Amino acid sequence: MNNVCCGPGYASPAEAINAPREKLLYTIAIYTGTGIQKPDYLATVDVDPDSVTYSQVIHRLEMPGIGDELHHMGWNACSSCHDDNSMSRKYLILPGVRSNNLHIVDTATDPKAPKLYKVIEGAEIKSKADLSGPHTVHCLGSDIIISFLGNAKGEAPGGYLHLDKDFKIMGRWENSMGDIKFGYDFWYQPRHNIMVSSEWAAPNTFMPGFDLEEVGHLKYGRELHFWDFEKRKPIQSFYLGEDGLVPLEVKFHHNPDSTHGFCGAALSTNVIHWWKDNDEKWQWEKVIDIENEMHPEWPIPLPGVMSAILVSMDDKYLYLNNWLHGDMRQYDITDPHKPVLTGQVFMGGLLGKAPKVNGVEVAGGPQMFQLSLDGKRLYVTTSLFSTWDNQFYPEIREKGGVMLQIDCDPVNGGMKVNPNFMVNFGQEPNGPSRCHEARYPGGDCTSDIWL
Amino acid sequence: MTKYMVKISNRGNAEYEVDDKRPILDELRRHGVDLPYGCKYGGCITCAAKLTAGNIDQRRQVALNNWQLDNGYVILCVARARSDITLEIGTESHDKLYRNPFLEPLKSYQLKSDIASKEDT
Repeated sequence: MNNVCCGPGYASPAEAINAPREKLLYTIAIYTGTGIQKPDYLATVDVDPDSVTYSQVIHRLEMPGIGDELHHMGWNACSSCHDDNSMSRKYLILPGVRSNNLHIVDTATDPKAPKLYKVIEGAEIKSKADLSGPHTVHCLGSDIIISFLGNAKGEAPGGYLHLDKDFKIMGRWENSMGDIKFGYDFWYQPRHNIMVSSEWAAPNTFMPGFDLEEVGHLKYGRELHFWDFEKRKPIQSFYLGEDGLVPLEVKFHHNPDSTHGFCGAALSTNVIHWWKDNDEKWQWEKVIDIENEMHPEWPIPLPGVMSAILVSMDDKYLYLNNWLHGDMRQYDITDPHKPVLTGQVFMGGLLGKAPKVNGVEVAGGPQMFQLSLDGKRLYVTTSLFSTWDNQFYPEIREKGGVMLQIDCDPVNGGMKVNPNFMVNFGQEPNGPSRCHEARYPGGDCTSDIWL
Repeated sequence: MTKYMVKISNRGNAEYEVDDKRPILDELRRHGVDLPYGCKYGGCITCAAKLTAGNIDQRRQVALNNWQLDNGYVILCVARARSDITLEIGTESHDKLYRNPFLEPLKSYQLKSDIASKEDT
């Protein structure tokens, strides 16, 4: 290993933990589905407490057209090419879930004011790769792969788009989808030649909104898939059943030698843990089960809806959200078989436990979150997806989304809302928008993988 | 080529001529009407509007369930006019497009057509 190399990212998770503190972050904000006829945009948020614009949006990069629904995003390069000094973490890729466009944004020339570098048109992706509904972006050394949840007609299971480092469409990444019924998130651990992927639903099912009855009709996923990463094909699937309804985010430990990983099953509101046992067999178990709550006026018990999970860079804590209940939780996963609840805070949600935070009425509940590399600051946003927001939290149209910071104790556990930080997207110049995923310029706890 | 008139009731009853071979969304945007849209193939519901008079053909849409169809919703990016029609557009028309599925579960005949049961009558 060349210690003076100057590729992107960090030599190891331990080095990442000691990186300088984040001073700004990027989050996407949407107008799609809100009634405001403006493009979605990438917001730069000042997170430097010593800055006069701390806790404010300091730049907005609008996309060229309306109706993209920006959602998740990813880098052109990460720590997986740390040894390659010809690479740099310069471009953020912003897929539009509805438009199918991929926006390539230059964040390096001026980190505070990113610029649009190019757009890969959704129609080109449909014609060259028969894919729509882009979601997760990961880099693979100098290549980029993006999960798409549907074919060009929005039907499952979709597949993976392969881009080279110059953003040229190389076609489909996978050699086979096997018997996989749905796509969503994926994460890989190259030292074990394994990739794990999860299941949401077909774009034509989830884009218009959520219906509980469609889960019963098997329109939503309930399986996890293990892939031979080099051969680019699935080798084993786990049927999670009622314990794993709508398995969304998947995260391996950051430690590249570990085989442990976790998945948040959104509707069951369970955390699924997987690992490779001593006989070299992949195993899974349910390790966290969040009970449904009764809403006083509703006929059906309310699930938490765990739409995201995150593992701290030291692999000690797992964070999860309950978007409908309104709480964020921290679990100590030192023993990944036996997580221990160590922190919980409420913000918004349907149970009325924290309607107001830092003086602002919160529409929505905790949804996406990004943790600082040192594990001390968790930035949380409240919007899930325009149509789903409109179903569960219609008041978000007028109030917009918010970004909050939770201070986390990475030594003894514990979380509390930081009283000095509140980015209110309800006050945006073009009207209330909704923020979702956040990333830091230098890499974060959900962007980097080590070879 | 057949032309029909589209009246927009929540834009001062403004009227626009549309070609029956082309999606109503494209035709109205050609006239300068500012409308929401997303996927442009009938799958994502963002462009939904409410039809209050007339006939359309939206066989290509795959976003709406029977409850939404019964409430008059039309997916403008794939729908074609089949007569003079009257629409209510934008999110102002979306009062019966979204529902909380835990508060108001759908009946089996109100689901999407591929999984719906026949209505008990």
